[in-house]
Amino acid sequence: MGSLKIEGYELRSGLYYDSLGDMWVAVSDGVAKVGYDPLGLEINGTLAQLGIAKVGTTVIRGETVGSLEAEKFVGPIVSPLSGTLVEVNEAVLGDVSLMHQDPYGAWVFAVAMSNTSELDELVTGDALEESFAERLTAYRLKGVLAR
Amino acid sequence: MSVIDATSSAVHLSNRRTRTDSQISPEWVRVSAASAIALQFRSGRFSRDFEFGGINLLLNYDDGCRSDCAYCGLARTRPGDYEDKSFIRVEWPLLKTSELVDRMAGKESTLTRLCISMVTSPLAYRDTVEITKEIRSKVKTPLSILVAPPTLNRRKLEHFAEIGVDMIGVGLDAVTEELFRSLRTDVPAGGAGLSWDKYWSVVDDARDIFGPWKVNCHTVVGLGESDADLIDMFYRLKEREIFPYLFCFNPEPDSRLGEHPKSPISRWRRIQLAKHLIEKYDYRQEAFDFDDEGALVHMDASSEAVEGVVATAVPFMTDGCPGENGEPGCTRPFGSYKPSEEFRDFPFLPDGFDLVDIRRELNLEKLLAKGEMI
Repeated sequence: MGSLKIEGYELRSGLYYDSLGDMWVAVSDGVAKVGYDPLGLEINGTLAQLGIAKVGTTVIRGETVGSLEAEKFVGPIVSPLSGTLVEVNEAVLGDVSLMHQDPYGAWVFAVAMSNTSELDELVTGDALEESFAERLTAYRLKGVLAR
Repeated sequence: MSVIDATSSAVHLSNRRTRTDSQISPEWVRVSAASAIALQFRSGRFSRDFEFGGINLLLNYDDGCRSDCAYCGLARTRPGDYEDKSFIRVEWPLLKTSELVDRMAGKESTLTRLCISMVTSPLAYRDTVEITKEIRSKVKTPLSILVAPPTLNRRKLEHFAEIGVDMIGVGLDAVTEELFRSLRTDVPAGGAGLSWDKYWSVVDDARDIFGPWKVNCHTVVGLGESDADLIDMFYRLKEREIFPYLFCFNPEPDSRLGEHPKSPISRWRRIQLAKHLIEKYDYRQEAFDFDDEGALVHMDASSEAVEGVVATAVPFMTDGCPGENGEPGCTRPFGSYKPSEEFRDFPFLPDGFDLVDIRRELNLEKLLAKGEMI
């Protein structure tokens, strides 16, 4: 899988990215593994804990599937796709620092997709660079990134 | 909650560092996690959008703080290396003082209050002076010092005033002498000069030097005191025109009070309200009734009047040194609770939704009901 770096942030060409929740999505056999991309992790600061719905829960794109808590922030984890929650990465839930160490290794949950056309709403391939640059600028303007 | 503490008032400077490789004060200083985020030294965000301008600094030494307060993250006998210890349960990033001052100067228009927290170290006074001078040379934002009384005397307090400090905080924390002694003086690593009398002598001197409403005492809710103890202290301080600032005890893991429960939210809210009524509305002491254990069980007040005060939401905001024009200056977001927990003190004016929760937590009907009177 190829990768590119934009201002130090690594993006992978074989993945989908969702700006709704700052997450990456890896699709295989109708199942999407989901994790936070490096920018999505950074904007929250040092993570403290995650909570994810139970396996078997029906999830909907754009709706809450769990919660993320950092030093000074708590907010919803938004599912990038609709379907059924089929797996949760218990190792990551038990040690959220794994996400900071390896954002692409530390997937958080997996969804058996019910509507694969939703992948069209995610960003991948050639569109990635421009889309990411827009996100980066938006977060810079919000002042949530160290400088 | 105060950082503070310890070492005898006869502070020796002979052990001033000789090494030059340590990242210690005054060349280096720690800042609160919220301050580091606000100044963009660290990435991160707050759960709710609000203006944040209260920057908290903390002196840093290789051997840390010499005191051993039972509830403090920096206590000597708390396990772990000093540099890895949390304070108020979060990391305090270490920064070069010069870079911090430059960054503060660049963001001065957004800053409301600066505060240097001393620790009890023989180096603390001199280094606090040096850092204060460096700040004052570039930043005009009002500056407080949360002092370490064992390191100070009247002359040193006067010097703080001369170099541009406008408020002094004293981390009394425990509101009775007995509690203070058990948590801070008679402690495993030794009291290191912390005594009730020394603290009060610094409060008295600071009050003389800095004037009315320019000195504050930190008072922590949940260390083992009663409501009556707290309310009595509020009156004592008000009489002397000294602010009591409220802090909610939040157990530091592995500290000696690491398993001590936090005060129930209803108690915390009632103390916030009682303090505000005393401070801003001159409620008389006889209006508060307590049970045999000193728990507040009734307030003799009209529910309409009290509800009017609650509706302002002001009593539930963070209690701290003000900004230049009296606005909330030091707001310590998530300082005594996790972001996923209910707000203990609000770093902004609570909104209507927050007030719904606050009213439920207060349970005013019960507190004001005549039948509850003892």
